[in-house]
Amino acid sequence: MELSDRALVQKCQAGDMGAFEELVSRYHQKVFMVILGLLQNRDDAMEVAQETFFRAYRKIKSFQGGSSFYTWLYRIAVNIAIDAQRRQKRNPLDFRETMDQVLEEQHEVGKDPFSDVHEKELRGELLTAINDLTPEHKAVIVLRTLEGLSYKDIGEILGCSEGTVMSRLHYARKKLQEKLKAFL
Amino acid sequence: MKTCENIREVLGAWLDGELSQTDADAVRSHVEGCTECSEEWRRLGKLDAAMRTMAVPEDSQIAFEPFWRGVQRRITEKRPWHVEIVEGLRAVFLGPRLAWSIPAIIVLLIGLYSLGVWKEETPRNNFAAVESIDAYGRNVALLRENETKTTVIWLYQNQEGDNESGENSDKSPTF
Repeated sequence: MELSDRALVQKCQAGDMGAFEELVSRYHQKVFMVILGLLQNRDDAMEVAQETFFRAYRKIKSFQGGSSFYTWLYRIAVNIAIDAQRRQKRNPLDFRETMDQVLEEQHEVGKDPFSDVHEKELRGELLTAINDLTPEHKAVIVLRTLEGLSYKDIGEILGCSEGTVMSRLHYARKKLQEKLKAFL
Repeated sequence: MKTCENIREVLGAWLDGELSQTDADAVRSHVEGCTECSEEWRRLGKLDAAMRTMAVPEDSQIAFEPFWRGVQRRITEKRPWHVEIVEGLRAVFLGPRLAWSIPAIIVLLIGLYSLGVWKEETPRNNFAAVESIDAYGRNVALLRENETKTTVIWLYQNQEGDNESGENSDKSPTF
């Protein structure tokens, strides 16, 4: 029988490393996806994802269970990712090259499901437009669109109200629509 | 009566299923009767669909084992003390709940400075100096009394033949 997150957390708090490994196994992919959505760079996302679980391990004794484990974990992940974005300040050229490389690799191995030129172009523009958003706006877009989290959960993760989440999402979508109006 | 602008502000929340039943009904009723808002709704839906399918690169799958080894390495290796301190401070001051603290501290510091808390008495900087202006024996003495007051004293040396009276023939400067 599979243990609940809460039970695994309690075991971790008692020093059970195996329980922590199980939690990592459950959430490493989802955490990595969110961070990759924010950073758009695989190596950076891997670093931040591992750092997220390291910090979660260090802080797990202070986790009281006021929110769900994944909300707590995502809060750590998003904070580190936003911080990393601010520190990196990658220049747009680096980002452009990274994304072109990703798109090229997908094309070469035949993974790209968007054979239509219009859709390929849209993907490139979309990724650029998302990357141009502020870290806070990017975070709400990624958490809502990729993870499908509720406004309440997003608010808990980002430490803001549901109203702020709604407002940030509205602004972020408006910005994306402006930049992608040729495609929509 | 809600305007198109009011409706468009909540179209995204409607799309996300985050509106109450009453608000959702009001939005649906407006969108069904308004061509422009209906078009806006269509564009928003298309953007949302594009983001769901395209916003993350396809190769986003990661293997667990190497990932877990990376986490374990971080847990077992000891970090330098200064890294720990910096990370701790970053967590305190850059967390979203405390993000306001930085501008607050800046405003506080500016306020304290403007109130003169750190204003120190400017030390007096008096000195007297004699500087040569040119190579013809004309000198000037600068007596600086404070930041804003400097007295300039010209020193003339009589040239040979200029002394008609012969009273100051010792070539010493006169004031």
